Amino acid sequence: MITRAILLLAFCLSTFSFCFVAHTQMPPAPRGVIRLKVKYKTGDATKELPRKRFFLIKGSLEENKSLIEKMKAVDLLSRDCYYRSLGASDALIKWLKDNDCESVYCRGIDERYVTGSEAIPEFQAAYTQGLRDLKTPELARRWLTTNLSPGLRAGFYNRKQEVINALLKQAEETSKTKVLSVMTDRKGTAYLTDIEPGTYTISNLVGSETEKTSILWACEKEVKAVDLAVAMKRPFTLSNEKDPKVKCEIVEQPLPVCNQAAK
Amino acid sequence: MANENNLTAKNAKQIAMGTKGFTLRCFANTFATFAFYAFLFLVVISVVTPAQTRRRKRTPRPGSTVQQAPAGPAAKYSSFLHSSEKHKSLACNACHKLPTEWTAKRGFPDAADFPDHDACVRCHRQQFFTRQAFAGTGPSICTVCHVRAAPREDGRFAFGKPNTANQSTKPKDERQFTIEFPHDKHQNVIASLRRFGSSENEARFVRASFQSFDDQPKLDYNNCTICHQPNDSRETISLIPPRAGDPSPNRYFKTTPHSHDTCFACHWKSQKPAGDDCAGCHKPAATFIGIDSPPRKSARFSHEGGKGEHVMECTTCHINITRASTLRGLTPDVPVTACATCHKDSKKTTYPKIITIEEELAQFKKTSSCTYCHTPDIGKKKPPASHEAAVQ
Repeated sequence: MITRAILLLAFCLSTFSFCFVAHTQMPPAPRGVIRLKVKYKTGDATKELPRKRFFLIKGSLEENKSLIEKMKAVDLLSRDCYYRSLGASDALIKWLKDNDCESVYCRGIDERYVTGSEAIPEFQAAYTQGLRDLKTPELARRWLTTNLSPGLRAGFYNRKQEVINALLKQAEETSKTKVLSVMTDRKGTAYLTDIEPGTYTISNLVGSETEKTSILWACEKEVKAVDLAVAMKRPFTLSNEKDPKVKCEIVEQPLPVCNQAAK
Repeated sequence: MANENNLTAKNAKQIAMGTKGFTLRCFANTFATFAFYAFLFLVVISVVTPAQTRRRKRTPRPGSTVQQAPAGPAAKYSSFLHSSEKHKSLACNACHKLPTEWTAKRGFPDAADFPDHDACVRCHRQQFFTRQAFAGTGPSICTVCHVRAAPREDGRFAFGKPNTANQSTKPKDERQFTIEFPHDKHQNVIASLRRFGSSENEARFVRASFQSFDDQPKLDYNNCTICHQPNDSRETISLIPPRAGDPSPNRYFKTTPHSHDTCFACHWKSQKPAGDDCAGCHKPAATFIGIDSPPRKSARFSHEGGKGEHVMECTTCHINITRASTLRGLTPDVPVTACATCHKDSKKTTYPKIITIEEELAQFKKTSSCTYCHTPDIGKKKPPASHEAAVQ
């Protein structure tokens, strides 16, 4: 009889505790959102920084001090210098600059850059090779990059990625957290969503080239649980101008003037 | 009489010669027939047997095997699995020819085609040529690729959708591979694709003034259009068949890539993963994957609409795409706050005729349904808090 009573009691307790747990489960922890806005001042104009990737690293500037020192110490060739070091033609370098490109994959290559007065020598040679392999002029042009040397194709981008990946590895090892990244749109805006509240460092890791300078940002941001609608109204702005409200380390350097022999 | 005798003798001679000729012709015919069959036999022997021997002698490709598949029920071989132990051990190019005979079929060197018969026969001779195989409707192994197992039926299933199993009852919309596509890397590299024949060659209005202005158009950074084109017709998305009983007429906002052309434009030769590295993009799936795309929630939205205002950079609304390193779990969600940048009462002065979120919320209070923007199934749900927050 006593055993039965104990069993019944145990059953009731377990059922009750199950119901209690099920009904008092906490809702998912609220997450944070950052609306990032990146601007830079060049001459008298303030411009938005398009198509640049920014990384969200867990920890304050102080906690990421050694990483930031490494970022500052990176000595990466500028795009112009890199392509000049490969002996690229002026026309190709101009094409990359005009189109805001780090590699030839960046834009579809129009016919005028393959044949005619505006033709870029590297594109012309690749096109001629393509005509032999691919038979049709249209395909030879569309698949033109497949006949360019690896260095010309994406050498600059790959070098930059190597540096970024090494920095990311260090950042993830230090913070023990995966680093998120987003790219700014044409208006210099990007969203970092679904973030665990805490203190973060937002950085582009490697200086972003603008018209005349290269700008490296490492800024601290306290992320609170907030709805996207609220974040929309309060963007976190990065700029190369000093803002006392934003805790940032900014390194702005003029782009070097390169000659053909630059290494 | 003499003449008659002469004629008779002549006739007899002719008959004798005719008989001899006939005999000779018969012999010649018989010999020719025999020779033909002998030749045919030799050809068959020389083609079949030495081919087998040659295949045996050929240095096997890494991981390839020429072992014959064991005999088994025909049904077993009527479906094809890349994930079977034998198939898994083979390199992709052990069966798939790279490139295919592309000049005859497509305008670019491609890899997307069924293997030649040789690739199957190499191991599945028994399933093709034995008496058991021909019992019933023919070798069922043929129906892996062919619609019917008949020698003169060369109709095949679309590539990428071979007969997987129970073909009569199961729609062929399941895949044996997942596709790896890091949006983030591609967005790093590619800024945009100018459509050939447009923009560059089109006439453009320029400012007529003696004053110097910068008439260079703003740089375009919209790279999504390389793969995702406006989708006016479902036929453009051949790999994604319409879902049975789908109520929305235009469920997919944009197309998805349906050929290697776009990929190979950069990845054909040495840019990794190159065209011959199938596994660089296609990873074998543990189970069949049903093709599904995100459900459309705002059925009345049109990318091409909004009086031109919707034609903006994709990432302005699809805010999470640039952080996606894989297609797994990727949803092109658009937060309602993106809509609220225009579809909000306070913005009405600029856009007088648009439906606002406030109106949608008011409609819900009256009719318990939000159908200005949403499909009926979504619209009958209670608006989430994000909608209220977006209009505050």
